[in-house]
Amino acid sequence: MSNALGQTIHAPGGALRRSAAERAANWLGDRGTLVTGVALAAIVVLFSLIGPYLYTASPYAIHGHHALEAPSAAFPLGTDQIGRDELARLIAGGYATLIVSIPAAVLTFLLGITYGLAAALSPSWFDKVLMRVLDAILALPGLVVLIFFSALFTPGTFELILLLGLTSWPGLARIVRNEAIAQRNRDFILATRQFGGGTWYIARAHILRVMAPILVVNATFLVGDSVLALSGLSFLGLGLQPPYTSWGGLLQTGLNLIALDPWWMILPAGLMIFLSIMAANLIGQGLLARFGAAR
Amino acid sequence: MLRMIANRLATAILSLAILITIVFFMTHATPGGPAFSILGQKATPQAVQQLNARLGLAAPLWQQYLLWWWHLLQGRLGYSYLLNRPVTQLVGDYMMNTLALYVGAILLSLVLSIGIGLVQGVTYGRWPARLIGALQLSLYALPTFFVGTMFILYFGVKWGVLPTGGITNLRLEQPGLLDYGRHLALPVLTIGLLGVSGLSRYFGTSVHEELGKDYVRTALAKGLTFRAVLFKHVLRNALRPLVTILGLAFPGIFAGSVLVETVFNYPGLGYLLWRSALSQDYPVISAIVLLIGALTVIGNLLADLVNGLLDPRERYE
Repeated sequence: MSNALGQTIHAPGGALRRSAAERAANWLGDRGTLVTGVALAAIVVLFSLIGPYLYTASPYAIHGHHALEAPSAAFPLGTDQIGRDELARLIAGGYATLIVSIPAAVLTFLLGITYGLAAALSPSWFDKVLMRVLDAILALPGLVVLIFFSALFTPGTFELILLLGLTSWPGLARIVRNEAIAQRNRDFILATRQFGGGTWYIARAHILRVMAPILVVNATFLVGDSVLALSGLSFLGLGLQPPYTSWGGLLQTGLNLIALDPWWMILPAGLMIFLSIMAANLIGQGLLARFGAAR
Repeated sequence: MLRMIANRLATAILSLAILITIVFFMTHATPGGPAFSILGQKATPQAVQQLNARLGLAAPLWQQYLLWWWHLLQGRLGYSYLLNRPVTQLVGDYMMNTLALYVGAILLSLVLSIGIGLVQGVTYGRWPARLIGALQLSLYALPTFFVGTMFILYFGVKWGVLPTGGITNLRLEQPGLLDYGRHLALPVLTIGLLGVSGLSRYFGTSVHEELGKDYVRTALAKGLTFRAVLFKHVLRNALRPLVTILGLAFPGIFAGSVLVETVFNYPGLGYLLWRSALSQDYPVISAIVLLIGALTVIGNLLADLVNGLLDPRERYE
């Protein structure tokens, strides 16, 4: 039963049954989110990492007589403007995208935690300094900083990982710092301090541990953000350089030829980026809901 | 109120000063310095030395840093290496186009977000809200450059109803307002949609939270209609955090617009940034980076001040 506002009215007697049913629905909903996310992630990862072994056509071989062909039996996703197999390029692009964005997300994660914890556990004047600097950095969109630095040199795989990692941490740093500050003065941590626990020990054994759910959720979001940033950069022609390809690069090629209506060069690459980000966000959301329910 | 303004202003100025310092060190982190990007990577050491002397890059770092401030305060941002025009002029030209895009996109996403958020908040927990939630999640995962490209493919190439890029039809002698509008439509729609996913979700949650508060029950109990409560009381209270979020969303909107402007060849700041990055035109790049940072700081400042106007409690925090 609910009123005009959609709020549940707890009628006597029925209340217990209703809330149990509701809880079951919610649990299924959260679980559904998580399961869908994991399934999507599995599809994306298998496609990119196992794909090369199942579909062995070369992403670099040029079939001059078959340039810019729509999907057919010979080329399941068509060919590009110089007759390269688009499906093979989509797989290679996926491999290149994941091999950069996942390590970059790990680096971002470590940097964000380090900065955030350092700020939270420092004396308050130093925390203020670090936070002012963070405010200023956060005023610059990550992509803009990324463009700035990738203009300096032509990045390879390793440089891209560094570049993405070094430019994406400020958001996480703020979350970690605020959360750690909230935990810092809880009774059990004050007690540990009382018993002589050092700052490093408290950070490692207690603060990081109570923050684990939040950290895990944010780590999954970071992977999605990282895929998005790398794809955007590659789309601008500042990421991985030809002949190597990535999903963003494939989209860019499609856009350059858009007057010829090559939907097969645009839709698959765009959908793969969408699916990877969706997978990361669904897993994050699902975990968030579960951790929230567990608390 | 005055005290709050002074307080926020001081914070904003401090942020700007730090930002300017960061951008200075970013530009001077160039391997070999800017001389290499002007003369090319194969420049002879003599040529680099000469150019460095001419550009004042041979001086010690602290002197260059002070000089950088001195020039900034005078509004001198140097010359574009590529186009040999004063950076301020160049950036000014492109900035007006970006502002038109921004204002359109922000208005669009505000209107859509408020509408969607109201529905989501009122139907919280039931299927309309769940459906909206799923759509928001999907929209959030859609990259702007993909959406923009698909728009061009359908509206521009397949159906031919809207132009595929640029800002005016070059074949028209006097492009009227309608022509500008037609060119703005797709970029505005793309950036506007980018904002909707986050803003509407946030707004939906705050409408739901406000609806559960005591003042709503009191208002309903004294006989006000649900509609009156929703639009007179709840809307006003739920809008307040939206202002802050809009201020914070500014960098994200800009990052999205770099890609969108590139997709549509729209001559705005993002497009200029991209062109300059491809040709390593450092004075232009650093001016844009600085400008974006400054706009964000100012955006946040304005959001704080608007909040202070809307809610007297904010003034004393």
